Amino acid sequence: MAAPTMKERQACWGARDEYWRCLDEHEGDAGPCRTLRRSFEASCPQQWIKYFDKRRDYLKFKEKFEAGQFQPSTTAKS
Amino acid sequence: MLKYRSIRPALLLLLAQRPKAQRGLSQLKASALLRTPGGEVRQVRCRLSSGQGPAETGRQGQPRGPGLRTRLLVTALFGAGLGGVWLALRAEKEREQQRRRTEALRQASVGQGDFSLLDHRGQARCKADFRGQWVLMYFGFTHCPDICPDELEKLVQVVRQLEAQPDLPPVQPIFVTVDPARDDVAAMARYVQDFHPRLLGLTGSAKQVAEVSRSYRVYYSAGPKDEDQDYIVDHSIAIYLLNPDGLFTDYYGRARSAEQIADSVRRHMAVFRSVLP
Repeated sequence: MAAPTMKERQACWGARDEYWRCLDEHEGDAGPCRTLRRSFEASCPQQWIKYFDKRRDYLKFKEKFEAGQFQPSTTAKS
Repeated sequence: MLKYRSIRPALLLLLAQRPKAQRGLSQLKASALLRTPGGEVRQVRCRLSSGQGPAETGRQGQPRGPGLRTRLLVTALFGAGLGGVWLALRAEKEREQQRRRTEALRQASVGQGDFSLLDHRGQARCKADFRGQWVLMYFGFTHCPDICPDELEKLVQVVRQLEAQPDLPPVQPIFVTVDPARDDVAAMARYVQDFHPRLLGLTGSAKQVAEVSRSYRVYYSAGPKDEDQDYIVDHSIAIYLLNPDGLFTDYYGRARSAEQIADSVRRHMAVFRSVLP
């Protein structure tokens, strides 16, 4: 299976960016973004879709972490 | 110009005969003359002054000012002499250290980081082929989702910025694969053409790639395969700068922009001195 060319890569990134923008608008609700999800899955190799999904999870987690939503638990103290 | 040797016996005679009040002055003169040519302490001066000093002060309250100043001056000159010798020895030691370092670098430039790979036209390449050129090297793989294209794009931007300055030597961009199983010569040729006409792709057998990755301390690990046998290779991300002697000079991580890297390369170019004959 040949690697994607530059054009194919850019098409994949474009579809991914649109899908993510839709998710941002709908606050992570995947329902309204189903068509974009399908076009995203059609443009990118499967491995990349898994990779980008994990990347999105990580970026969201990083946002929350930097916003201070994770506090150390006090029960750990003896 | 009076020669001190010829005048010494005459002076000694004079000192012996002059009235005591003038002895202090003549002590100064005698020691000054004895001191002039070589700046060395003369034993005769010590004998002269010690022979007369205590007895004089005991009897007539001879001022000790000139004597003290003379001694300080002589000590200072002696100290300066010692300092000079110390500086000369230190300079020699530094030169020796520099010689040893240059020799070590020469050996490293030949033996270290050598590779034997195929470029994207099928030609065999080793590190010596790039001697005389600055090299920017990146390790990645063609099936990479986003990081490798971004980093290669950045690398190519650096090369273009440096190309825009005609007084700088050209920089050779190199892309080495960490996925030799899939990235054969044809795959590399397809990949590098999208970035820059001079970007050179290097691939080889699994063993050759393992060797070059070890030399450059590049970590890589193929991930699990999915249904269509696709996989992602986890790898360390860095752009390496090699100088025209083939020695590793600097590395740039993801956080550095193309401008920062170009600035750094320019600085290295400005101070570069070859260690090879």
